[in-house]
Amino acid sequence: MQPQNGIPIDYYIWLAAALFTIGVLGVLYRRNAIIIFMCIELMLNAVNVLLVAFSTYLNDAAGQVFVFFIMAVAAAEVAVGLAILIMMYRNTKTTDINILNRLKW
Amino acid sequence: MTLNLFYFLSFLAVLSALMVVFSKNPVYSVLYLIITFFTIAGHYILLDAQFLAVVHVIVYAGAIMVLFLYVIMLLNLNRESEPHKSNILKFAAVICAGLLLVVLVGSLKGTEAIVQQSGKAGIGYVKTLGEVMFKEFLLPFEITSILLLAAMVGAVMLGKSEKTNDTI
Amino acid sequence: MNRSDLYSLTPLLILSSAAILNFFSISIKRNHKVIFAITVLSLIGDFIFLTSYSLYHQQHIDPLLVVDGFGIFNIGLILLTTLVVALMSYAYFEQREERKEEYYILLILAALGACIMVISKHFVSFFLGLEVLSVSLYSLIAYLRTRERSDEAGIKYLILAAFSSAFLLFGMSLIYATTGKMDFGGIGYYLTTTQDIPLIMMAGLGMLIVGAGFKLGVVPFHMWTPDVYEGAPTPVTAFIATVSKGGMIALLVRFFNAINGYQYESFTNLFTVLSIASMFVGNILALRQTNLKRILAYSSISHIGYLLVAFLSGGSMGAQATTFYLVAYFITTLGAFGIIATLSDQHRDAELIDDYRGLLWRRPLTAVAFSAMLLSLAGIPLTAGFIAKFYVITAGIGTQHWLLVFCLVVNSVIGLYYYIKIIAVMFDQKLQIKSAKELHPLVYVISSVTIAVLAVFLFWLGVSPEGMLSLIDDVI
Repeated sequence: MQPQNGIPIDYYIWLAAALFTIGVLGVLYRRNAIIIFMCIELMLNAVNVLLVAFSTYLNDAAGQVFVFFIMAVAAAEVAVGLAILIMMYRNTKTTDINILNRLKW
Repeated sequence: MTLNLFYFLSFLAVLSALMVVFSKNPVYSVLYLIITFFTIAGHYILLDAQFLAVVHVIVYAGAIMVLFLYVIMLLNLNRESEPHKSNILKFAAVICAGLLLVVLVGSLKGTEAIVQQSGKAGIGYVKTLGEVMFKEFLLPFEITSILLLAAMVGAVMLGKSEKTNDTI
Repeated sequence: MNRSDLYSLTPLLILSSAAILNFFSISIKRNHKVIFAITVLSLIGDFIFLTSYSLYHQQHIDPLLVVDGFGIFNIGLILLTTLVVALMSYAYFEQREERKEEYYILLILAALGACIMVISKHFVSFFLGLEVLSVSLYSLIAYLRTRERSDEAGIKYLILAAFSSAFLLFGMSLIYATTGKMDFGGIGYYLTTTQDIPLIMMAGLGMLIVGAGFKLGVVPFHMWTPDVYEGAPTPVTAFIATVSKGGMIALLVRFFNAINGYQYESFTNLFTVLSIASMFVGNILALRQTNLKRILAYSSISHIGYLLVAFLSGGSMGAQATTFYLVAYFITTLGAFGIIATLSDQHRDAELIDDYRGLLWRRPLTAVAFSAMLLSLAGIPLTAGFIAKFYVITAGIGTQHWLLVFCLVVNSVIGLYYYIKIIAVMFDQKLQIKSAKELHPLVYVISSVTIAVLAVFLFWLGVSPEGMLSLIDDVI
């Protein structure tokens, strides 16, 4: 299959999968909440790449429109997230989070 | 030619994405993430989605990353403030991500046969996108405004300091 | 968009106008009473408007939304739940110093998001509704900014919810990649015309389930539930436990009916594992807790497990059992958290079991109502919880899910232990001196009446469920 730009579609799938996995790795690997947010942005961008690639290949604009909405959602999430982060920093003077630390069985 | 460009952009994207995760200093992470976003914008252009590429640069590199940088400056985060995480947890994180990658690679193999492609180009232009967005997807567009309202109310409410003499 | 579309969307429009109205009202003058009145009146008005629809109303707003009987029923459920949450919030927030007014805007917007979710039949509207709900919830959870655990709960929910949204989106994009469609009908059509489903589609559906599982808090994606339940203000906890999870269940029912997901062995097996794990982990972990909010959190995990049994039965029987279980679970959970909210004082929530020692002798009526709620959660006869569980078991047996039904029965017995333990503590004679600053008694009237009404509903559904059952029968 040779689409108009000559790049096979599965290359984009690999790229998106790689970026998504790096995002997941970052979320699990780091403890700094700001970096974790950035990694979530990375994951969302992996999704966007996939959607845009398939929207072009399937010739369906709905995929690209969905990407707009994802961008809006990402912006909204970051705004609230950073506000919570600042609030947390005010209370505890750190941005260190350990998602599992208070998990009592 | 385009294929080489694709390889170059992908390599840069993956490399800088890895650097986002592994840099010690949050400011460097932000800068690497901006590089990743620019390479992704390059991919959009390769995919014939020019308008989206522009919006992507404006929204991500222009707005979201500036917000990140601003917060990092505000909280004065640097190398020393990075908390230590135990090696076992780091190891577990790498294993989990590796497993996910294996699962993804395993399940996504052989996609090429599935997708049927039709020839016509040009859906990435403002005209086409605008028509779809403001006809078919008008309602979600309105819902997005509600989403932004909720985010705005929440962010203002949470970000405002309780007393005026607070340090931040 | 034409006039009949607009007519079908009026409940959503009323909600958003209520939020805007609150917004302006705050900008003129901050007054808790006024905001509260606007919120409650608009929710009641919205519900009354909703009752004007016929149950067989069907309006497709292509390609995004479908306003049908099931959707209207769920919107009504969400509106009533939000109303109850708002009613119990008044006394809870009145005794706190923080600014209280924005809370109601966020609450209305969260309800709006859930309403969009339950009537959506397209990935875009599903995702946006879910995000409107989640973004409002982030702020609601972290609302009491000075309390030590609220920021932790807020950030934990934020990160895990955003993380799971990314999984959800990746799943959606993989499904879009294979089918080229984003509406549920189109995906269902693709699945009926394809002989063997490609692996990539399976991966997409799997990631969709991971994302949805996070929001529902099923094991193994349950880690956030206890911490968030504990850290969030009690009315918000009630909202998360009911509207947020119920909306997701309603959406899953719609999605799985549209794509006819029950015919695929791999999905039913996956859900069976999730359901059994949730039941056992939730109930066993609840045994060791001393914090009531955490107990209810773990109990909600196991209840989602029970719900999945009904969900797995599929067909109209499964959908009926799911919906009835949701109604009973909503009433019970709201009642339980409502009582925790009423007993909370200015500084902390009444969340430790010790706070309830001898409650029967101090506040007999509250203790009786609370016991009723707990017994309903445990599924004791005469309560709504019993009938709901009965229907779930009937649905499970009807479709020969013997293993699931067996696990459900075993878990009901385990669950009984910790519910009874709380009731036993309330009967304890040891008196405790309580020196909380009491507000004007009128403030508590609203909460008390709300709880009394919930208790009446609980018994009414437990004794004569026919009315509700025929209503549910009509909408499905």
